[in-house]
Amino acid sequence: MIRPMSYDWGVFVLWRWVMKDKLLTMQNECIESVTQAGSEQALEEIRLKFLGKRGELTSILKALGSLPPEERKETGMLANSIKSKITTAIEAREQTLIAEKSVIEGEFDLTVPGLIPESGSLHPITQMCYDLNDAFHSMGFEVFAEDEITSELYGFDHLNFPPAHPARESMDTYWLEGSENETGAKRLCLRPHLTGASVRYLKKHGAPARFVYPGRVYRNENTDARHERAFFQYEALIVDRNFSFASGKLLVKTILDKVFGRDVDVRMRAGFFPFVEPGFEIDMKCLVCGGKGCRVCKHVGWIEVMPGGTPHPNVLKAAGLDPLEWSGFYINVGLDRLVMMRTGVDDVRMFHSADLRFLSQFK
Amino acid sequence: MKFSYNWIREYVELPANLSMKQLSYDLTMRTVEVENTENLADALDQIVIGRIDSLESHPQADRLTVCKVDVGLPETVVIVCGGINLAVDMKVAVALPGSMVRWHGEGDPVQVKKTVLRGIESYGMICASSEIGLHDLFPGSDDREIMDLTSFESPSGTALAEVLLLDDQILEIDNKSMTNRPDLWGHYGLARELSAIYNKQLKPLPTAVVAHTPSGFPVEIDETDRCNRYIAAVYSGLKYEPSPYWLQLKLWKVGLRPINNLVDITNYVMLVTGQPTHGFDKGHVDERIVVRNARSGEKLEMLDGSKLELSEDDLVICDANKPMALAGIMGGKADSILPETSEMILELAKFDPTTTRRSAQRHGMRTEAGVRNEKGVDAERMDQAFGVADQLIRELIPGAKLTAYEDCRPIHVTYPEIKVPLSFLNVRLGRELDFNAVAATLKPLGFGVAGNSEDESVLNIRVPSWRGTGDIDLPDDILEEVARMIGYENFDFIPPQITLERAIRQRRIETERAIKEYLAFRAGFQEIFTYPWIADQYLKAAAIDPAKCLRLATPPSPETSHLRSSLVPGMLEAIARNLRYYDSMKIYELTQVYEPGISNPSEEAETLPLMRRKLAAAVVGKDPVKVFREAKGVIELMPRIVQTEALNFIQKDKPDWADQKVWLNIVSCDRVIGTIALLSAQTMHSADIRKTMAAVIELDVEELEPLPSRENKYRPLPQLPLVEQDFSILVDRNVKWREIEDLISGMVRSYAFIEEYTGKQVPNDKKSVMFRVWIGSDTKTLTAEEIDAESQRILKKIRKKLGGEIRQSNS
Ligand SMILES: [Zn+2]
Repeated sequence: MIRPMSYDWGVFVLWRWVMKDKLLTMQNECIESVTQAGSEQALEEIRLKFLGKRGELTSILKALGSLPPEERKETGMLANSIKSKITTAIEAREQTLIAEKSVIEGEFDLTVPGLIPESGSLHPITQMCYDLNDAFHSMGFEVFAEDEITSELYGFDHLNFPPAHPARESMDTYWLEGSENETGAKRLCLRPHLTGASVRYLKKHGAPARFVYPGRVYRNENTDARHERAFFQYEALIVDRNFSFASGKLLVKTILDKVFGRDVDVRMRAGFFPFVEPGFEIDMKCLVCGGKGCRVCKHVGWIEVMPGGTPHPNVLKAAGLDPLEWSGFYINVGLDRLVMMRTGVDDVRMFHSADLRFLSQFK
Repeated sequence: MKFSYNWIREYVELPANLSMKQLSYDLTMRTVEVENTENLADALDQIVIGRIDSLESHPQADRLTVCKVDVGLPETVVIVCGGINLAVDMKVAVALPGSMVRWHGEGDPVQVKKTVLRGIESYGMICASSEIGLHDLFPGSDDREIMDLTSFESPSGTALAEVLLLDDQILEIDNKSMTNRPDLWGHYGLARELSAIYNKQLKPLPTAVVAHTPSGFPVEIDETDRCNRYIAAVYSGLKYEPSPYWLQLKLWKVGLRPINNLVDITNYVMLVTGQPTHGFDKGHVDERIVVRNARSGEKLEMLDGSKLELSEDDLVICDANKPMALAGIMGGKADSILPETSEMILELAKFDPTTTRRSAQRHGMRTEAGVRNEKGVDAERMDQAFGVADQLIRELIPGAKLTAYEDCRPIHVTYPEIKVPLSFLNVRLGRELDFNAVAATLKPLGFGVAGNSEDESVLNIRVPSWRGTGDIDLPDDILEEVARMIGYENFDFIPPQITLERAIRQRRIETERAIKEYLAFRAGFQEIFTYPWIADQYLKAAAIDPAKCLRLATPPSPETSHLRSSLVPGMLEAIARNLRYYDSMKIYELTQVYEPGISNPSEEAETLPLMRRKLAAAVVGKDPVKVFREAKGVIELMPRIVQTEALNFIQKDKPDWADQKVWLNIVSCDRVIGTIALLSAQTMHSADIRKTMAAVIELDVEELEPLPSRENKYRPLPQLPLVEQDFSILVDRNVKWREIEDLISGMVRSYAFIEEYTGKQVPNDKKSVMFRVWIGSDTKTLTAEEIDAESQRILKKIRKKLGGEIRQSNS
């Protein structure tokens, strides 16, 4: 520690000269180290070294009291100005360091994967079904669920299937044991299609009506990648007065636009199904080639997606409606196939596999 | 079915510039789906007829011959050939370089190139019929016997397709799209349809020329509901030989193999009219033709060599003694056309479609005749078919003579006349048509269209016989005919006018979706689907009484005949299968189960079994306490998320698949609606679920009571902070959390179970229970002393009631 010696003027002058030089050197040294301080901790160390209780500048300021008033004033002003400069420099540096710093010290590997929220998922067919329900809901369609076991009366008779239609036989339909030799209302089966539900709904609610009735249907057949014994259909029906089949496209477009997320061109052509008259095969323009023809569409430019048509008068009669007053439009689409088209699933049997390696892909 | 375009054009002159693309489009939009069109000549590009000029043995290969062949070029070309029947001046098919052939008639076509064969350059190849896809038209003994075209007069170098008259488009029509149109199963029917589409005249078919009045032939129909008309036409002076090339060609082009002139004639008639016919050797027919049901056990060897054992469900054509043919499907081997046949009975008949279909199915015989008969032919078409047959027999066999003719027709079918109001058509079509416009679309199809004498706005429409077999009998059917002939592509979309009455509110439907989404999105479960038929193994593992399950008459397999009355067996199977890849999982299924009983959803006469929608879910993992608590938590939270009445738990009815100790019934509005339980050791063993634990939930979704609206209620936030205190107490092992809960619930603002512990540092008969409470006051902030006093009060109460001992307490 430097002590001024008041008894010798010459020494005093020398001291003053030395003092001033020392203060300025200290200032430069300090500001230099502040500029180079790489952390808040280093900065704090600098602050303590110069401005702490026993810091170098603090000591000089403390010693000022023993100087003659004139000297005290001059050196004091210089020291205080240096203190202020240093303080400002430290604060400025601190701001810079805060602005530049990360909350993490050291390395951080940004390529480590995030923590995925634990979640399950709906079955891909349920997802598709709900997507379509939402679309139809927005147009005021109700959702109807029929029981899975039905009778020949509702599965065939009411739907204008001729008495000897092949679908009524046991090689096509799963009849229940004990009822297989009965007929009509007494002959029970796992429903072979959804259409019977339309008669149940109309009988209960009457017309006009707008509703969808998705669900699982059953066919007795050998299975392979494209054939299943249990599969899902989605059927929609609108019944109203003076309804032209030319309005039926609304139902078709509602489905396809929802599934494919864009406006899809459709065409309706002649097709035959017992419960409709006229009946249609409904095609969509091939999305792969845009209608020019490619392997996917077998070079036709169109892909058959669903049947549809106006409810047959016998079906309306079975539902208690006068076919001269009421008309409408059905469409029926295979949900399994839609999901296969949308996701690329290549084996329809996957849907009932309950295999989590498959199902978890649809989260 | 395949159609020859040239053949169709024998009956109707179509527009000269009509492209196959346009024709396919028009037919597909209006009538039937054209799957493919193919010009037979395309496959024979660069294949020409050639004449062998000279032959020489190949110097280095015994089996090869070096041929100089005239292929219409200025000089003969050299072709090395392995054929065994080569001769100078023989005419042969030459595949020039660039053409496509199948080596030895097998595999995909490959391109022919100039090649050096054992040192000699060969300019293409001389073909066996199988190598260029003509085997059925030119059957050779083996692939080394080359096609002999010497009888064709075309000059060398002429394209083979031209020589063989193969420049023809073959239309392939989707059979499924023709099932309801029996009239289209012959070329004349399709020609009629095209004549209507393109507004061209349909030419008439020949009618039978009966030069003299032949005598009759005895025909008896025993089963008139299975056969309502049978024509037997007896021809003598016949000669069994190959058909002329043009006839063979016609059959071959549409996929039938030419056999001999008599059989080919019957097939030709069918391909023109759609009416199947059959020929019997008259020498084999004893006395008469009888159409009757087969006798049980009766045997018949068929033309294809198969031996059938018949039943009374089969209809057969017999003579006085024996069956000779399975009606409408196939003839018997012994009595049909034979090489020695000189006298033939030609059969033209209408058989019941269902009988035909069932017989064909029973005996596994799909034949061209059967396919047509099961669609139903109209009786009038038989006359057309006879006309075509008679003309062809006379043309092909100059000595042929119709010696007897019998038309046995016990029942005359009448065809409908339909009254169609014009207004009906106009409203449903969405456009204005007058009488003439409707007539213009229908008449070319053969409909009779007349005005109604009483009411001008109504049309009287007479249905032609070939459309009257069940296809058309209502005004709506006429509407379809008119619409499709106008062309569906010509109807613009008409936006439907809809009346809005109210918003849709379907609480049960919404609740079900809410449950599924809650489980999938919040609770982390994966939705699965399983089949409704249950494998016996899992039915047994779930200890479900098979007698209380419905069964399928013809199940997918013998061991999956029971339908599910519970979703648990399906869960067991899903768990067992997935354990190969996962040691923990959370899965659920929500669908219908069935039980014997009676329900009448739509009408009294229809009695369906009992059906309920159920939810099953499983939490699978190593730690039984954890999986059970997870499953329980899922049900505890569900009513709040899904918005149904609260669910509670009791032990009342243990399902047989549940563990002895760890099970709870789920209660809603005082009714037991389901169960949460660990799977019993027995169930896991039977279901092959090993080295893991599973908590399974099953509940009846229809018993949940959806709330009419959301019922989450607001509680004002506490004005002053609550104090959180954790307690850890040591109590007897048999003390239930519920007892602790009952003691503290009235003393604190809220509380929560944290954990239960047994093990080291805890005596054997004790357990440590840790819980947290929140205490507070509405009027002031509690002091440390007040908090401590409150804690002491709680502990004192527990000690008094449960003998608990404090292990620690901290705040
Ligand atoms: Zn395409």
